[in-house]
Amino acid sequence: MIKYVVKRLLIMIPTLIAVGIIMFTLMNFVPGDPAQIALGSGVHTEAEIEAKRVALGLDRPFLVRLGEYIVNIFTKFDFGKSLMDGTDIKWELMKRFPYTAQIAIYSILLTIVVGLPLGIYTAVHANSAGDRISMFITLLFDCMPSFWTALMLVLLFSLQLGWLPSSGAKSFRYFILPTIANSLGGLAGFTRQVRASMLEVVQSDYVTTARSKGLPERTVIYGHALPNALIPILTVIGMRFGSMLGGATIIEVVFSIPGIGQYLVNSINNRDYNACTGGIVFIAFTFALIMLLTDLLYAFADPRIKAQYVSSSKKKVK
Amino acid sequence: MAETKKFFELKHLTVKYHSGSSIIHAVNDVSLELNAGETLGLVGETGAGKTTIAKSILRILPENSVESVDGEILFEGKEILDMDDKELQALRGKSISMIFQDPMTALNPVKTVVSQIAEGYKMHQNCSKAEARQRAIEMLEMVGIGADRADEYPHQFSGGMKQRVVIALALACSPQMLLADEPTTALDVTIQAQVLDLIRDLRNKLGTAMILITHDLGVVAEVCDKVAVIYAGRIIESGTLEDIYDHPTHPYTCGLFGALPDLDKDVDRLSPIEGLPPDPSVVRDHCDFFERCPHACERCKKFDNQMIEMTEGHLVRCWKANEEV
Amino acid sequence: MADELKKRHHDGHDGHHGHGKKGRKHHHHIDPSIKPGSAKYVWASVSHNKGALFGMTFIIAIVIASLLSPYVCKYSYSATDFVAMKSWPSLEHWFGTDDLGRDIFSRVLYGARYTLIIGILSTALSAVIGIVMGAIAGYFGGVVDSCIMRFLDLFQAFPSLVLAMAFCAVFGTGVDKCILALGLTSIPGFARLMRANILRIRSMEYIESATTVNCPTWKIISQHIVPNAISPIIVEIAMTISRNGLASSSLSFLGLGVQEPLPEWGAMLASTRNYIRDYPYMVIIPGLFIVLTVLSFNMLGDAFRDALDPNFKD
Repeated sequence: MIKYVVKRLLIMIPTLIAVGIIMFTLMNFVPGDPAQIALGSGVHTEAEIEAKRVALGLDRPFLVRLGEYIVNIFTKFDFGKSLMDGTDIKWELMKRFPYTAQIAIYSILLTIVVGLPLGIYTAVHANSAGDRISMFITLLFDCMPSFWTALMLVLLFSLQLGWLPSSGAKSFRYFILPTIANSLGGLAGFTRQVRASMLEVVQSDYVTTARSKGLPERTVIYGHALPNALIPILTVIGMRFGSMLGGATIIEVVFSIPGIGQYLVNSINNRDYNACTGGIVFIAFTFALIMLLTDLLYAFADPRIKAQYVSSSKKKVK
Repeated sequence: MAETKKFFELKHLTVKYHSGSSIIHAVNDVSLELNAGETLGLVGETGAGKTTIAKSILRILPENSVESVDGEILFEGKEILDMDDKELQALRGKSISMIFQDPMTALNPVKTVVSQIAEGYKMHQNCSKAEARQRAIEMLEMVGIGADRADEYPHQFSGGMKQRVVIALALACSPQMLLADEPTTALDVTIQAQVLDLIRDLRNKLGTAMILITHDLGVVAEVCDKVAVIYAGRIIESGTLEDIYDHPTHPYTCGLFGALPDLDKDVDRLSPIEGLPPDPSVVRDHCDFFERCPHACERCKKFDNQMIEMTEGHLVRCWKANEEV
Repeated sequence: MADELKKRHHDGHDGHHGHGKKGRKHHHHIDPSIKPGSAKYVWASVSHNKGALFGMTFIIAIVIASLLSPYVCKYSYSATDFVAMKSWPSLEHWFGTDDLGRDIFSRVLYGARYTLIIGILSTALSAVIGIVMGAIAGYFGGVVDSCIMRFLDLFQAFPSLVLAMAFCAVFGTGVDKCILALGLTSIPGFARLMRANILRIRSMEYIESATTVNCPTWKIISQHIVPNAISPIIVEIAMTISRNGLASSSLSFLGLGVQEPLPEWGAMLASTRNYIRDYPYMVIIPGLFIVLTVLSFNMLGDAFRDALDPNFKD
């Protein structure tokens, strides 16, 4: 298993380095002088701007700065300092990450808790009225922009009914609406994927074998079909988790939750390119980590893949 | 005229599938019977409806593509088509079990082989987990797989080994009747003989009745007591092994033997049956074999598709059968 | 021997004990003489699909309405009216007015063009680039394939919304920038689809025979591979338009896409969301239009999927 983890890590690292290089390079060529932005609005003399350039290290050649940036990220996890207020981007991100992570984790949990049973139900009762109604409702959710869903939820549950807070992140209650808003869109896709995966498995020969053994239908579905359908679903869950992380950015803006997403949107709007690059690379890191975990789980769940890495000592008879 | 319960009877079984906007007539009015311990060979081309017949018996046809199943399937006098879920579950695996055609896909890839065999036994015998496991290991040993491999997954076995597992699985509860659907087709030629021997030995040892589905006349000759030849979802000739092998009467049966390599005679080339089976979505008003039959004539167009008894128990669905005799 | 089976004459189909189980009703009734896969079949199937009909009708209606809106609407989308600020929907202002007294009906209809243009053009951009990249990767294989696939991996190192935000940060705001950002973001979907198609088709026999008779490469691609790969691409196009339309409103909502005073639906929501408590219609109406537009393309895509690939059915 360790071999597999190492192999996956080795694939992941070059991708992350490339992401860092590309983001840094792109941001470097964006119009607008970082020194000017760092000095803020108002009129500044040439000398003042030049001094700021030196202070920010911008007088050095591009490649040197790029190299330093990448090395700092990979050795010290250091993303540099914000152009706007000079704060350490790493600490800003670390401070905000728990909020974003909470939204993403609650969202994926909600998605699994609702989407998995619904997907199984619709597959087992394919083409029934229940199947069609569920598929239509989830399709509708899929087409609702999450920020609008969020606003509608606020309108109903905060403003009309007064049940839940509409902004902030003080306790778990504050995360209920953001989680629902962030999940509904992905829920549809997830349910459809579970349904498709399950439908495919239900038609497979080994499910017929299980049925022909005289097992009750429940055992056939939950004992034989489901474990197989879940294997590809694991990857889907990983991808969904990743996009929940992305979706959280927009949800944070609606609910004024001080997470990574809000930080990222603010820094793009303020043209704080250091903070922006840092935020994006940070999200790419988290995303890569999630995908790594997913792949490991996948390998663990599927004996066919597991066998390749676990039993290198045990003889493999063909 | 004995009124005792027949061991197994199939009466006028008719199965239709729907595909897109057309209806596929997969099985047309098939009637069979089988005595305890007897082996029937069901012979025919791919797509003739053999597998559909076997799956109808266990009621494991793919539900969402079946249009209708009509007729009677009687096991020890009980109508299988009328059984509720409970009765059906008690029947499947315990009284009647099935060996599937493709061992590669018939086993669940995420479960160990021993657990797949033990599962059914535990349920039917209502025994402890350990007992079921013990039985499963015995079964594996019986088909020649060592206990040391019991906890492996299907992907760790070769095709022939997997088919042995499938056989062990089918026989775990000592069923009274076995449906073997082309059990050797997906295997290497060298392994085919081994698996066939295994099935025959186990049948003899356990006294299981069997319906052996195959397109291989050689296999039938080795194993079966009775033979039914099926064409386009209809039985066109049936009888004892001797009836069919020594006196093949229907032009299709004769054609099948013509398409078989005969090692005793030095024939330059085999004579395959020309043409293709008829479109199963079209209802025919003449003999099914009409288009391919070398002896077809005008009267065949008005043939009413009735069986004709040649000698006792030897039935042929060709009006010329009588004339020729 | 009075056994029924051995009777000299069997009776036919009649008089049997019926166990018929009613099969599934089919959703469409297409003339069976039309061959599946033909353009005629696809059209027949799509036009029998209620969702697709709704989608097509809505898209055509909204396109016409958006084009005509400057001529037929009573108010210009940009005309402010400080006397009629924040007025609820009425006969005068069908969808009410916003915080600056602008007529929401005119704005919504006019604004449809942004979602549609961004959705369609960004999809066209990504389809062209993605299909070419995927075709090259799949056809040539080897090092070329690995390079292209590793490059696409970079795109997929981010959640797609974050990637689009990153591109917006680089390019800036505006309709054209938004098209570029979303177009780049959705390249991998097309490229992977095309590559998979090519790999599947390449293994088929007729390509082999075309190769052996010394057909030039471009001819193989244009005459054999592209026509066969087209159906999943059509489905992907409809789905990408739907997704990118949604994403464009998200970006605009965040202030990264199309900006005020242009009446892009997401931008409209961003500027009126603070009035949700007292004037919810300002937020509800543009959102409903986003949902309906996205839904229309989505249902069209679904209908094409059903029509083009019978495997997806059931």
